[in-house]
Amino acid sequence: MEDLKTKLKEQIIEALNLQDTKPEDIDDNAPLFGEGLGLDSIDSLELMVLLERQYHIKVEDPREGRKILQSVQSMADFIQSKQPA
Amino acid sequence: MKGKCYIQGMAAISPQPTFEENCFSSPISFSTTNLLPCLEPDYKPFIPANSLRRMSRVLKMGLAASLKCIADSGIKVSGPIVTGTGKGSLQDTEKFLKEIVTYKETALNPTPFIQSTYNSVNGLIALQQKCTAYNNTFVHRGFSFENALLDSMMLLQEGEDHVLTGAFEEITREHFYIKSRIGFWKEEQIDSRELLSHHSPGSVAGEGAAFFMLTNQPTEKSYASITGLKLLYKPATEKLLSALQTFAPAVDAVITGRNGDSRFDHFYDTVEKYFGNTPQIPFKQLCGEYDTASAFGMWLGAHLLRAQELPQAWIGQPIAKPVNRLLLYNHFYGEQHVLIMLERV
Repeated sequence: MEDLKTKLKEQIIEALNLQDTKPEDIDDNAPLFGEGLGLDSIDSLELMVLLERQYHIKVEDPREGRKILQSVQSMADFIQSKQPA
Repeated sequence: MKGKCYIQGMAAISPQPTFEENCFSSPISFSTTNLLPCLEPDYKPFIPANSLRRMSRVLKMGLAASLKCIADSGIKVSGPIVTGTGKGSLQDTEKFLKEIVTYKETALNPTPFIQSTYNSVNGLIALQQKCTAYNNTFVHRGFSFENALLDSMMLLQEGEDHVLTGAFEEITREHFYIKSRIGFWKEEQIDSRELLSHHSPGSVAGEGAAFFMLTNQPTEKSYASITGLKLLYKPATEKLLSALQTFAPAVDAVITGRNGDSRFDHFYDTVEKYFGNTPQIPFKQLCGEYDTASAFGMWLGAHLLRAQELPQAWIGQPIAKPVNRLLLYNHFYGEQHVLIMLERV
């Protein structure tokens, strides 16, 4: 799980071009939007694309997306729940 | 021309250090690859980091140049924004198209698509300035900047106090390659400083963003006034000569878009011959060739009119003072021709 979260942070930094941000600067449970990283609605679309490209997971329901993209922890939990046992 | 049009502020990002203060004291930059890329400034003082991370090159260049132009003019209230671009954001367009292929039309990132639209720069300026006034981007190949200028001048005649007018263009490696296959650039690699002494087909590629705050009233700070504008599409020599008569005879110098392309030099030869001993000031050795290069020529001419001098390294020759009337003549690969009359304020 820790490896997945670290990898996810690296992928978020690259996808959103978060200059001057390192994986260790991102708290697992900090909100990604508003506070924390201060991301916006365009970023949320880009994170959806990231999930689809990197993990082959398509989020169909936008309400579900809001919960999944709350934090790195919630994203990692979601990815893990979709991976075959 | 009925109304008056004055350049109250301006800014340019180009292959030369034009964004810096005292840019004319810097040596001119050059290239030996037939591609003159812009010298990009540090954008952080102009654009918030959170916005900057998402922008492609031409968006950053356009927005930063426009903001510096607004600051230079001293005008605080936003008004109409009119720009021209031949190609818009090529970097975003290429990224979006490549992703369509790579991801088989699924999982497409929205940002490059949004930013690949031609009016992205205008939108960013308007958002940044909280401006809800008239907002238009002209995309007419070699007439893009010229139509933006024409529209701006008409807006001033209709009563607007000021209009932010600009042009922006970028070149990418991919686009450079595509255009090289259809003969836009020289086959032999040359030093861009020696562009005009290489008479062969093609020119060198360039790019840039230039913005002007145009007003209907002059001030002590005004750079120049624009007193004439004529656009000609694929003119015969007689038609070009007839257009030149509108501006002759009292022209102190001609700013010429001569670009070393032997296929279209005859147009510049016609203008040079018509004006006899009038000094010819070329500018494409500084900025390269691109759809909206005449915006750079206008920026250079306006500087010359206000300062009454420019370093010889930039304009190739000393110019006798006073310089009161400058005619800018440029064409884009023999098709879109423009004549802009600039006068000292």
